[in-house]
Amino acid sequence: MLGFLFRRLGDIIPTFFGVTLLVFFLIRLIPGDPILMLAGERGVDAARYAELQAQYGFDQPIIVQYFDYLMGVFQGDLGKSFVTKKPVLDEFLVLFPATVELGLTGILFAVCFGVPFGVLAAINRGKWIDHLTMSVSLTGYSMPIFWWALLLIMFFSTTLGWTPVSGRLSVMYYIEPTTGFMLIDTLLSDEKGAFISALRHMILPTIALGTIPMAVIARMTRSSMLEVLGEEYIRVARAKGLSPLRVIMVHALRNALIPVITVIGLQVGVLLAGAILTETIFSWPGIGKWIIEAMNRRDYPTIQGGILMIAFLVMGVNLIVDLLYGVVNPRIRHKR
Amino acid sequence: MALLEVKNLTVEFGSEDKPFRAVDSVSYSIDRGEVLGIVGESGSGKSVSSLAVMGLIDFPGRVTADALTFDGQDLLGMPAKRRREITGKDIAMIFQDPMSALNPCFTVEAQIMEALKVHEGGSKKQRRERTLELLNQVGIPDPKSRMTAYPHQLSGGMSQRIVIAMAIACKPRLLIADEPTTALDVTIQAQIIDLLLKLQEDSDMGLLLITHDLALVSEAANRIQVMYAGQLFESGPADSIFSAPRHPYTQALLEALPERSEGHDRLRTIPGVVPGQYDRPAGCLLAPRCRYANESCVAARPEVSDFNGRDVRCFYPLNDQGQPTGLNTGGTV
Repeated sequence: MLGFLFRRLGDIIPTFFGVTLLVFFLIRLIPGDPILMLAGERGVDAARYAELQAQYGFDQPIIVQYFDYLMGVFQGDLGKSFVTKKPVLDEFLVLFPATVELGLTGILFAVCFGVPFGVLAAINRGKWIDHLTMSVSLTGYSMPIFWWALLLIMFFSTTLGWTPVSGRLSVMYYIEPTTGFMLIDTLLSDEKGAFISALRHMILPTIALGTIPMAVIARMTRSSMLEVLGEEYIRVARAKGLSPLRVIMVHALRNALIPVITVIGLQVGVLLAGAILTETIFSWPGIGKWIIEAMNRRDYPTIQGGILMIAFLVMGVNLIVDLLYGVVNPRIRHKR
Repeated sequence: MALLEVKNLTVEFGSEDKPFRAVDSVSYSIDRGEVLGIVGESGSGKSVSSLAVMGLIDFPGRVTADALTFDGQDLLGMPAKRRREITGKDIAMIFQDPMSALNPCFTVEAQIMEALKVHEGGSKKQRRERTLELLNQVGIPDPKSRMTAYPHQLSGGMSQRIVIAMAIACKPRLLIADEPTTALDVTIQAQIIDLLLKLQEDSDMGLLLITHDLALVSEAANRIQVMYAGQLFESGPADSIFSAPRHPYTQALLEALPERSEGHDRLRTIPGVVPGQYDRPAGCLLAPRCRYANESCVAARPEVSDFNGRDVRCFYPLNDQGQPTGLNTGGTV
């Protein structure tokens, strides 16, 4: 177990270099000069431009800039934002909980609906329930997030008025962040109704973000479940006189979930990519929106730092998923 | 009253108007303490008929019978919940491939204790003790340490012992063993059969032994049923079937045994294969492969009839010399 953990942590090293290399050079390939962006419409004269270039280190060869950046990262310094002049890490940590909260509810939504839909479809194979859930999930999978989110807003917020259009909390409330998770903070606070407000704000972004992973999970659960239901040990379980519910929920689902868990882990990456769109549409103050804004302003340190942190997050989640895999699947646990 | 009474059991698959009969009007009964062997080639409906007894035939399969009773209770008519109380408790089943019969996600202990929990309840401690006792009973060495093992850590023979322990956990009165040794190697086969017979004897169970191994049933079974393409071809006491087969198919099966091929250059075989869904003969199902078949065999299907105290489905049952009778008269005996 420990050896496996170290090996997996070792895998992170090349990924880390890959990510820093890619992000560092790719953003410099995007047309646009951060200094000119900062200067705004009036621009700067040549002397001041050179001075600023020296200040930000742009006068150095690009390789030197990269190693400077790398050295900073090794010391836990992601640099300072060109725009706000604040350390990137500090900004990240403030915004991060909002994204995590949305991501968690999104994946929760995806699992809570995807797995039961998949199971229902599998045990009703070929019947209308199967066709219905599978066509719904295909539609969900094919729907571009920004369009789906706008449809949701148009219908539920504008027409029906059930949910707020954007943001995390109604302006009527002010909540001092303690954990950064709005649902928890509002619960802890004395403000009446704040929790309900936070919850209502979560609904649409959660659905918009969770739909694609839900569709993937539902389809994966269905096919995995169908495979498991054909296994001999399912017949044996039934021959023991167990109820159909127990055969499906205990004997089949446990085995069927093994590949689904891997898919859930992979979906976290998709989820974070989706978060960028979702947060932009719903004005959700999270990492996604932050990085988009940083890109528009060519705020190199923020983009680099943000993406590096997201990459770490995805790697971390996949590591956890691999460890979980061993918990669910005894065959893997014992082979080490 | 017989423990299990099966009368004209039929299992059909496929569409209503053109069904495929996997099992066609099979009847048998089995008493307490009796070993009934069902033999036949692959595809003869042995497994399907026993699955039907267990209630494990799923939609779109259709099970019908004039009678399917266990201990006087009608299995087909009772509600599903009541039937599950009998399945796994009073009637238990062992399957062909032990390596895939155990759920890979659960320990040996959990899988045996589950059967106990569903049917007998009791405290966890009691169930654990009983599990240990069962593992001892089926001859698992060092049962304590095997309790927490997962199926992938066990050998085939060991797995089959676990499967048997699971099946006998609730002291069933009837045990159906569907080719329990096919997937095992020869030395283990004998051990498993000995174990099954010992358990059967000790607890006076009825044992339904399904196999295509004639040598095995000849030693183990009191009575034998020969099945072919879903139909019952011959049934009777084990020793008399072996000494004097009445059905040409039984005769051919016996002749195919290696020990009966002495003096021949090659092992004898039955040409052809069991007819499938689309190539069923209109007459006797064996007609294309039978050495005695004539026009009447191709034209009509024989019914099961009594011949010298034996149930035989043939127009021309064999006499003690192994020669067909009634051929000259050209009619049913």
